[in-house]
Amino acid sequence: MATQIVMDRTGDTRHNFDAKNADALLKAEVRFRELTGAGFTAAVRAASGEAVVKRTFDPNAEETLFFPRLVGG
Amino acid sequence: MRNAKERPRLFLSECGRRARVLRHRLRRQPDRIDPSSRFVPGFRYGYGEREARGLELLKEWLSPEQFAQYDAKSYFEVTGCHSGKRYRISHGISMNIHELDGAGRPRVGWCFAPKGYLVAGDVMLAQKIALETDERGALAVANTFFVPTGRRNTLPHY
Repeated sequence: MATQIVMDRTGDTRHNFDAKNADALLKAEVRFRELTGAGFTAAVRAASGEAVVKRTFDPNAEETLFFPRLVGG
Repeated sequence: MRNAKERPRLFLSECGRRARVLRHRLRRQPDRIDPSSRFVPGFRYGYGEREARGLELLKEWLSPEQFAQYDAKSYFEVTGCHSGKRYRISHGISMNIHELDGAGRPRVGWCFAPKGYLVAGDVMLAQKIALETDERGALAVANTFFVPTGRRNTLPHY
């Protein structure tokens, strides 16, 4: 089971999906495009534990984190 | 003369009354936290739970060294991917990033955060990922703030 975690005012919203299911994968890809198109940054954890930013949808990612556009404080 | 004495007494009495009303109103607010968040509808309710979830997520994404540091000191350090500079991210949602000098002392403050009302754990995680993966992009939107170094006090007195 793969997960897309979206940071929001409720803490975070998690979308779990079966990466082997073509429909679920398509939905996840659409969500990825919508979020990144809206300014969210998508990041995954590499095997070493380091965060890696993803510009395109990675169907093999176990966990993808989305955080909103950065602004100066 | 009587008026001059009466006026401060009335003023203090009115101040006391207003303070009592304010105290009463604040007591009636459940789950009260940061005063600023009271102006965001629906934000304060269940804040503790959201705060805990945010911290849980942060801890999952911290390296073991960063986790240990955060656990002990409420801050952790990251390395900027472009400059190799060290930054200290302290627990908080704003004005919580300090660029460190070679000796590990705060040199300058940087302020940036993800847009919207996010809990501290989420904000710190976004700041960490931004500095580790796109330092220049993060600092391009950031504002700087002065960090007192205390060096002033070390100047000799003449």
